[in-house]
Amino acid sequence: MADRRGMPILPVEAYTSRAWFDREQERIFSRTWACAGLAEDVAEPGQYVSVQAGLNNIFIVMGRDRRLRAFHNICRHRGTQLLRAVGKTQRAIVCPYHDWTYDLEGRLVSVPDRERQFPGVDLDCVSLKKASVDLWRGMLWVHPDENAGSIMDWFGEVEPHLGPHEVDELAEYPKGRTEHTIEANWKIVVENYIDGYHLAHLHSGTLGMYDHSRIESGFVGPHFAFWEPLAPDYAKDVEKNSPYPLVIPAEQAGAWVPMLFPGIGLAETESTWSLFHVNPISPDRTRVVIRTRVAAVPYRAFARQAARSRRFWARRVSGKFEGHGDDPMASGDFMAEDIYACEQQQRSLRSPYFEHGPSSEGEAGVREHQELVRRWVEG
Amino acid sequence: MDGGFHRLRVAATRAETERATSLVFEVPEGLREAFRWKAGQHVTLRFHLGGEEVRRPYSISAKPEGGRLRVTVKRHESGLVSNHVNDRVAAGDVVEVMPPFGGFYLDPDPRARRTYYFFGAGSGITPVFAMIGSVLGSEPHSVARLAYGNVDAGSVIFREDLTRMEEGSDGRLLVRHVLSSPSRASSPAPWRRGRVDARCVADFINEHPPYAQDTRYYVCGPGGMNAAVRRALLDIDVPDTRIRMESYGPVEPPDDSLAGVAAEATVRLGGATLTVPVAAGQTVLAATRAADETPPFSCESGVCGACRAMLRRGRVHLRARMALTDADISRGAILTCQALPITPRLTVEYD
Repeated sequence: MADRRGMPILPVEAYTSRAWFDREQERIFSRTWACAGLAEDVAEPGQYVSVQAGLNNIFIVMGRDRRLRAFHNICRHRGTQLLRAVGKTQRAIVCPYHDWTYDLEGRLVSVPDRERQFPGVDLDCVSLKKASVDLWRGMLWVHPDENAGSIMDWFGEVEPHLGPHEVDELAEYPKGRTEHTIEANWKIVVENYIDGYHLAHLHSGTLGMYDHSRIESGFVGPHFAFWEPLAPDYAKDVEKNSPYPLVIPAEQAGAWVPMLFPGIGLAETESTWSLFHVNPISPDRTRVVIRTRVAAVPYRAFARQAARSRRFWARRVSGKFEGHGDDPMASGDFMAEDIYACEQQQRSLRSPYFEHGPSSEGEAGVREHQELVRRWVEG
Repeated sequence: MDGGFHRLRVAATRAETERATSLVFEVPEGLREAFRWKAGQHVTLRFHLGGEEVRRPYSISAKPEGGRLRVTVKRHESGLVSNHVNDRVAAGDVVEVMPPFGGFYLDPDPRARRTYYFFGAGSGITPVFAMIGSVLGSEPHSVARLAYGNVDAGSVIFREDLTRMEEGSDGRLLVRHVLSSPSRASSPAPWRRGRVDARCVADFINEHPPYAQDTRYYVCGPGGMNAAVRRALLDIDVPDTRIRMESYGPVEPPDDSLAGVAAEATVRLGGATLTVPVAAGQTVLAATRAADETPPFSCESGVCGACRAMLRRGRVHLRARMALTDADISRGAILTCQALPITPRLTVEYD
């Protein structure tokens, strides 16, 4: 057992070096279930998305039987990428290079000029390499290994620690889809997400609607589970004061904010459900994609709820400091506050005078996450 | 035991509809192992009626996990055995039963996470009912969806059980009734009128697309329905390897287009190799039995697959082949009860 207070568990290079980044891509992100978006991203036969899972580019396509298939996005001829980003195909996948054509089971069905170009070559057993795909909690998931097994082997244990939300019955709020490029290593972003100690401080003006003194959190297998109740004054009249229509019964109101491994955060609250997907870009750059679902009710219900709760929120949210709106610390926006803190930490890692300080009880999850990363990278 | 049959006491009977009865059997301790079954398998019952020995395979309609051995028998117009069971068999009677058998089964895996689509009609529900029970009880991450065809609400076997199971399943079981002639006050109202046909299959899957992406399709109805459902599934690119089928009931008429020739068959059975003369028009099974051997068999109509063997040399004509898939046949599997030699020499090997 590591010294609970011992920091750092990971050296500075883990956050700054290309070698560490490459090892994580190979040993963590290429060997775990990767989130490929929300279920509605591939909702019609022929629709596809491609997603990077560590070193693997994988595409998911829906067949006419409405089942999802996932394949490595590599033509079996010369390795050309087959499908780009998102789109719609028919019943076949055609490589742009030499027009090799595969069916939705991944079988090679047509090769131009086959008799002349490949005399005597057996092409009948050439198929795209399969990956695993599933839907879980309203999200698309892929695993580079065709024989990854059930996704419940990976998430089954943490599932009871997540919110009571019926995720599939909620609807995506298009304006809630945002992307943030953060000049920090992905682990700094994750560590910030699971650090319960900073909530009452960095976010003193922005996240006061939750009671940070009653946090229940901890690792369940490789995943970090987190729950906190509403602050008493908000809980008292949450049906009136919630900014959006409730998505769970008022008596269960609270926030479940797990960080699934590796880097897939959820924020399941009384009125919203969000995905906080941490994508490593380089050792010191991370892209976070946020997707948000809300109650599937008519627009007027949102307008009514906003009007009812306006007065409550006017008094509740403020910047940490006084200042201009373009100063993240004066913005009154907790995401801007988090990005500021993450980027400042990353900058400080370059200072020859940087040294880790003692770590708190509320940062236990941070230490455990570092330990977890170390085990996967060394393993 | 006699020719593979055991005498089991009927513990209880229950009328499921006006035309279908369930028999629950008492399995004595010493036979528990022999009578262990997988959801979807059948047993063969043997009766002596009007001086003749008759055998019929019936699917077990109870899940294996904690269930009691039970078959559910629907009357057929001129069905000798089905009418006997419905009219005469009572609790306390003894019936000759051959242990469970069959390749149409569902082995639940507690770690699996699957979407099961079941398409059934009439008494085709019996194996499916056992399978649904197994999935709900033993595969906690999986869901089951059933499209079930019948003439009218009154002929729906297990209607109340299915409703109760659906309501108690926390969304894991969905049942949709397809009725060809619903009465006006049909209760519950059917999902649609008509039959379990190609359009029904496509609509059912479109309305209830798979959630867990490891999908399985089980089809159990009359031969014509099975063929239509399979074609509909293949048409929307369901891989054949995910489809399992079993048919029942009035079997399609046998294919008597070839008569068969007299032949000498080399039969490998239970470690021995015998030479068996087969008369023109005689099946391999009949000839082997006529030679005082005891090859496995059960339904003698090509449905159950108990008499299956591998053809190692020569060719045969199969009058019926319900129990075999195209893949089985391409590997050389035959049903000896339906196999007429069309070459003068053959070699047949029982499993």
